[in-house]
Amino acid sequence: MTSESLPDIAPLHRRLSGAWRALFAPDWKRSWPILVPLLFLGIFFVYPVADLLLLSFRAPDGALSLDQYAKVATTPVYSQVFFITFKIAIMVTVLCVAFGYPVAYFLANTTPKIRGRLILLVLVPFWTSFLVRTFSWMIILSYNGPAHSAVRFLLGDEAKVKLIYNMTGVMIGTTQALMPLAILVMTGAMQNIDRNLVDAAATMGARRGQAFWRIYFPLSMPGVAAAALLTFVTSLGFFITPALLGSPGETMIAQIILTQIQELLNWRLAGALSLILLIIALVVFAVQDRLIGSTGSTQSATATEDITALSRFLGRIGQATLAVPGWLTDKVADLIEQIRPPRADRPVRPVMQWVLRGFVTLVVLFLASPALVVIPVSFTAGNFIALPPEGFSLRWYETYLGSTLWTQATVLSLVIAMLAGILTTVLGTAAAFVLVRRQLFAKRLVLALFLSPLIVPRMVTAVALFYLFAKIGLIGTITGLVIGHTILALPYVVVTVMSVLKSYDVRLDQAAATLGASPLRVLSQVTLPLLKVGIISAFLFAFVTSFDELTIALFTSAGTVTTLPKAMWSDLILQANPTLAAVSTVILIIATVAVLCSEAVQRRARRYSK
Amino acid sequence: MGASKNDLSRRQFVKAGGGALAALASASAFPRRVSAAETLTVADAGGSITTANDKVLYEPFRQETGIDLRAVAREHEPISQVKAMVESNSYVWDVCALTKQQALTLDREGLLEPLDWSDPHMQELIPAAKHPTWMAHSVYASILGYRKETFGENAPQSWADFWNVDKFPGRRALRKHPVETLEIALMADGVPLDKIYPMDLDRAFASLDRIKPHIHVWWTGGAQSVQLLQSGEIELQPMWSSRLQSMIDSGAPVASSWNQGVYAVDGWGVLKGTPRAKNAVKLVSFFARTDRQTARATLLTAGPTNPNAIAGVPEDRRIFLPTYPSNLERMLASDDGWWIDNRDAAIERFNTWILG
Repeated sequence: MTSESLPDIAPLHRRLSGAWRALFAPDWKRSWPILVPLLFLGIFFVYPVADLLLLSFRAPDGALSLDQYAKVATTPVYSQVFFITFKIAIMVTVLCVAFGYPVAYFLANTTPKIRGRLILLVLVPFWTSFLVRTFSWMIILSYNGPAHSAVRFLLGDEAKVKLIYNMTGVMIGTTQALMPLAILVMTGAMQNIDRNLVDAAATMGARRGQAFWRIYFPLSMPGVAAAALLTFVTSLGFFITPALLGSPGETMIAQIILTQIQELLNWRLAGALSLILLIIALVVFAVQDRLIGSTGSTQSATATEDITALSRFLGRIGQATLAVPGWLTDKVADLIEQIRPPRADRPVRPVMQWVLRGFVTLVVLFLASPALVVIPVSFTAGNFIALPPEGFSLRWYETYLGSTLWTQATVLSLVIAMLAGILTTVLGTAAAFVLVRRQLFAKRLVLALFLSPLIVPRMVTAVALFYLFAKIGLIGTITGLVIGHTILALPYVVVTVMSVLKSYDVRLDQAAATLGASPLRVLSQVTLPLLKVGIISAFLFAFVTSFDELTIALFTSAGTVTTLPKAMWSDLILQANPTLAAVSTVILIIATVAVLCSEAVQRRARRYSK
Repeated sequence: MGASKNDLSRRQFVKAGGGALAALASASAFPRRVSAAETLTVADAGGSITTANDKVLYEPFRQETGIDLRAVAREHEPISQVKAMVESNSYVWDVCALTKQQALTLDREGLLEPLDWSDPHMQELIPAAKHPTWMAHSVYASILGYRKETFGENAPQSWADFWNVDKFPGRRALRKHPVETLEIALMADGVPLDKIYPMDLDRAFASLDRIKPHIHVWWTGGAQSVQLLQSGEIELQPMWSSRLQSMIDSGAPVASSWNQGVYAVDGWGVLKGTPRAKNAVKLVSFFARTDRQTARATLLTAGPTNPNAIAGVPEDRRIFLPTYPSNLERMLASDDGWWIDNRDAAIERFNTWILG
């Protein structure tokens, strides 16, 4: 690659000169598109949130004080909860990436039609509100539920297996919620990997296993790193799922912060805890970035000039380590072929393809399982969310579709999500382009800034935004909600588009430019079409973040704007009833129809272009 | 007391920098929410509670006074929202439904408007319902709920029974919060109702130590507690009486015992400094009226705080009210004053204990 993408692991003098160049070189001028998202984040996130967090350094009389930090340091419960929070986030990240990787691999390498259908299934958790999803898991995993009954049937009644109200329940619920994110991010990045490289390895004698692990796998690392980063940071803020599916042993720091803000009105301690969370999370991010080096800095196989001894050493270790799974994969394939040797009358298919298909089916089933509860329950004649449903009726659909409150809330949420999705995609894509392609001063810091809305607890952002919105008259407005949701969704778009851009072959742009295309033409006719899958995924993340968001909507509108999550939450005041299941089923149908329609449109467009 | 420096710093924050952004906002096409001075906004629990309140409180108020009123749903813990509104001078709400603990917390920071205690209806209320800046209009209780088919004739009737896992086997749940749970632990340990406060925390946690291994779920939200008992995941647990009653009314096979329940009061406060304070205070006095309390108690099975109100409630609904004499006399009155002074420490100790 060109000198634009110098890796950050360069000797100090070089980095200093790089910073110098970045500040005064023409590149800074070409980095202007990042100023808009930066300004947006500065006004609507950094300024209000910093003001709130800095309260933690004040004593009640206004003097400078570290008493809240001393309290956190000397009370063991806070460090314990921090430890639990990071433990859960790491476990969830590993599960999502490890189980999601094969699915993403399959999606990236299959036909567009199968990919479309499968993504629809992978996305099911996205369209069922987090409230409904969590209640579905409570039913599936409960003592009388189907999953637990199956376990008791298999292991006998005495088997003391508990699937919920412990770490198992938290892992199941959180992994299901976040795996679609990991899968989509990885798929977007993998689609840009040149399959010819793997074939080239094969022609040179590498077996399939070796070719995959030593060529494809390292090339997919930018996607894996981005997926891991987003999953990790998102799960840090989870607390409703752990509270409903876990035991007190799975208390998350966001829950403690919420209690301090909402119940005890102790915003100083909440600020201290949030700031500590932010700092630890950003340190984790910096360390990961330094080790893997694929989120903050661009690394590519051709940029060898700046590789230090350390990274060369790490690279060697990496190569050596990857040979092991490669060898293992080939051995397993051999073993299966020995058990079931290929015969002339059966089509020859690589064994590993079948293993992969089986695995993908299982993961997709897992992701869709809450929907398998939600849909039948929505047709119940009874009053409760329970399995099996009591009789059949459409009464809950009548409740939903017959009430203007519900239908208006649905339309409003769709509108807000659409606006927030578009705004976030534009701002985030601009930022991602500059972050990946331009030499920018303090690039890592800028990226950390774009990530922080995911780390700062939503309640803190909500309170901070209220004060800001009060000043500029945005309380209870759609504009206010769109701004709030855009802030929350920006990290997803920035990281996703960055990961796709990193595995993007810049030579395609250069080729177009050599042939005389103007920069705008290159962008609109070469770059953006090739990045389509990644940008669509990014838009989807932004859309869903807004569509399922409750805290900001509730707090910054003070309850005056009824979005769909707010209507659902309000309906839950006394008990969870099947209306929620009917709402989720309708949303699932809308999402499915939308995806199928867009597929049809694309097919027609393709036919025309031929 | 009152406005601390903390407030001041927030107010300064509100002023500082506000100018620039306000200019930005007015220059652009951002729609400014116009709140008509005569429309009162009331924040309550939302959902079915709003529907019921609208029928028995809000609509009659509109009819009688001609003052327009709208209701919005507030969060379960609304005090940070109230603080944010008062400090930023943006009164989206005028009146907010508050528990006594919430009201006392806000009052400590001077965020509530004084009420009109010269009003004759207000003066009729029970002493626990009266506070200079807050009025209680209903009594709620945390009581023992259980599955009927699990226990049959031999149902648990006290917290000592709940702690007795040999005599009353079954999957148990407790609320993951010290309020009410600590009182329950002391009652289970044999402390008589009149000796609960001030609470002996060491004794309470020692009692909780004994039941901890037998707690299947620690629930955090009201809807979750309903789902647990309704689905049979849990066979006995303390929970809020109004939710238990709504489950029983929907046909769930569950029953309850009022014995040793813990009751507390729910009420209303007016946001300090709201331009509509006069009408807001009038509304709160309206909520105290005998006929309004009777109507609400009939509809929602929430115990009225006006002692004259209970006579008007039909006999078959009356027995479900926390303030029905034979229910009330068996229960413990939550000491919110004790909680306000000890809550931070109790929550911290509870969180430490539950992780240990």
